[in-house]
Amino acid sequence: MPVLLLAGILYLLFARGTGLELEAPAPIEKVEFERVVLQPGRIAAHVINTGPEPVTIAQVQVGWLNRASWQFEVAPDPTIPRLGRATVTIPYPWTPGEPYEVVLITTNGLLFTHDIEVAQETPTPGGGLLGTFALLGVYVGVIPVFLGILWLPFLRRLPPRAYYFLLSLTAGLLVFLGVDALEDALENAARVPGPFQGVALILIGLSLSLLGLYAISSWLKQKRQAASKAGQETSLSTPLLLAYTIAFGIGVHNLGEGLAIGGAYALGEFATTLLLIVGFMVHNLTEGIAVVAPVVRSEFKWIHLLWLGLLAGAPTIAGTLLGAFAYTAVWAVLFLAIGAGAVFQVVIEITRHMNRQGGSPLVFSGPSVAGFALGLAVMYVTALFVTV
Amino acid sequence: MKSRVFLVVFILLALAAGALLFVPAERATAESDAAARAASVEAAHRAHLPPTQGSGLYQYDLPVGRRFDAAQVFDPAPPPFEPAPNGLREYTLVIQEDVEHEVAPGIKLPAWTFNRTVPGPVLRATEGDTVRITVVNNGSLPHTIHFHGIHPANMDGVFELIPPGGEYTYEFVARPYGIMPYHCHSMPTSQHIHNGLYGMLIIDPKGGRKPMRELAMVMSAFDLDRDGEADFYAWNGRAFQYTDHPIELKRGEPVRMYVMNIFEEAMVPHMHGTLYQLYPSGTSLTPTEYTDVKTLNIAERAILEFSYDFPGTYMFQCHVTEHMEQGLMGWFKVVDEKTEARSHH
Repeated sequence: MPVLLLAGILYLLFARGTGLELEAPAPIEKVEFERVVLQPGRIAAHVINTGPEPVTIAQVQVGWLNRASWQFEVAPDPTIPRLGRATVTIPYPWTPGEPYEVVLITTNGLLFTHDIEVAQETPTPGGGLLGTFALLGVYVGVIPVFLGILWLPFLRRLPPRAYYFLLSLTAGLLVFLGVDALEDALENAARVPGPFQGVALILIGLSLSLLGLYAISSWLKQKRQAASKAGQETSLSTPLLLAYTIAFGIGVHNLGEGLAIGGAYALGEFATTLLLIVGFMVHNLTEGIAVVAPVVRSEFKWIHLLWLGLLAGAPTIAGTLLGAFAYTAVWAVLFLAIGAGAVFQVVIEITRHMNRQGGSPLVFSGPSVAGFALGLAVMYVTALFVTV
Repeated sequence: MKSRVFLVVFILLALAAGALLFVPAERATAESDAAARAASVEAAHRAHLPPTQGSGLYQYDLPVGRRFDAAQVFDPAPPPFEPAPNGLREYTLVIQEDVEHEVAPGIKLPAWTFNRTVPGPVLRATEGDTVRITVVNNGSLPHTIHFHGIHPANMDGVFELIPPGGEYTYEFVARPYGIMPYHCHSMPTSQHIHNGLYGMLIIDPKGGRKPMRELAMVMSAFDLDRDGEADFYAWNGRAFQYTDHPIELKRGEPVRMYVMNIFEEAMVPHMHGTLYQLYPSGTSLTPTEYTDVKTLNIAERAILEFSYDFPGTYMFQCHVTEHMEQGLMGWFKVVDEKTEARSHH
């Protein structure tokens, strides 16, 4: 009934008008650039019409010092429907290292501009580059995580009370990572075409990964409890499960880091790319410690270390590849938000684990707080290498 | 003991991965080889651009469906020199706002116009003629016409605003001879001129100039997004219209071009393949210079006289490259009369 009433009111509103002059005095058009690909002698702008009405691209100019009208083709059609996509191909003899500006002019005389800060050929997924970026992922993600895991023998020799210190340190590292990922997500959200609502994407990614991981881990626990009631031995101890959860959270986070590296390269920001590679390597050394912290005092099959390291590090490879060859702000935001959610879920899990072991006196004990603070501090210092 | 095993395994893993990293580095060096790059660019150009056309600038290689219709092209020929009946030259100019004006193929702007064109029509009188111009304001704002030249204050078109729906008759004796711009002087004048209310009045010396093929060209520009930087520049109001539709000239034929700059940037009319005799402001019968570039500052104008010794297609442009690349270029197609005559018979 309320729905019918609403429909009736809407009908009246449209039939009788709102009383406001809703005819815009000038055409409202919006075209956003999703990706600009540079090939020798050619610029291809992938655009999306995010305005309320169809848009027709009538002219194209390419700016170097000044703009020049240029030949172009629009596929599939110069008229782009609302939320429709098109590729504007411009046979322009750009030269590497120069800044350019791509200007699309619509039939109504509106201009939409994209800046190419430094022109550089966009990588295309060929065998060689694919390998290079995969290797970069290994370099940035997998190796540092394993190097971090190498601390394990040293950590095992620490006195028992250091265990909680380590867990808190991990929580500190993760909180920093989570906030960091959120900040990156917000930054990318600004580049997401309007109708796709970048900030809403963050909310969705964040909450879904948080709740999803929570559901998975409680399902696993229930299964284990059922198994132990039945008197069976399980291979997954609570600390090991926690370690896997942490590895997963860090893995999704590293996917986001990979995206940042690949994306920076694809956008021609080479200085940033190098900085990110070096920075994330240093940064990720600490992630290995975070992964193994819960299992420092427990026995397990060593093959688990391999899986933990791969789970935490290998998604970086997927990230660099996606970022370099298919970067769009929408995906970057979504992955970063999922990563942040996963990381926060792990922090909650660690806190619950410690709470079960010793209650709030343990959670807020001196060593725990010190560990947490040290975790933040370590991240802060290593992040200095990545922040531009 | 077990932990020692991990240690060794992991260090080996790390070393192996590290060694692999040198492989792409070598590959990258090979790729950045300058010669290889140049070759790949050249190949790409061959793939994307027609081999005979050196540039992708759209005017060299017109995409189908992105030209001006021939009917829209502003006729570059001014009205002919002829005596006015009883020495009275009468014109009617109707001002309208929001007339659709296609400034570049496919891009339509709401322009403010005299008689529905940008620039307004070329007016012509002989020195000493009485010029009577009736202006009808069919717009929604007050307008005027301010003529350059010698006339009484109330014919200057600054203080006597013509209200919407109003009419005003300007009457003065045409003098001195030369090219006199006319434009709306209603405030803000910048907006009234930019939006299209400008044109050229040619005043001939008594008895006229030596008869020649004549062209009238107004140089102006259009700022679509009002950011203070023009987006299209044009000969006679439409970017690239004379590249879409070249102006045909005959080899050896003397040509006189009346040219005027009405935009707020210096413009440099430049002919290719020939030089011109320059008559600044058209106020003298003796040329001051034989050149192929002359900077016309704001509202400055000149008569250029030239001819072509060789047939072929020549660019005429504004030598400010930005202006040229955004529309201030055109083609003269110079044809050999004899060749043409032969092909006709």
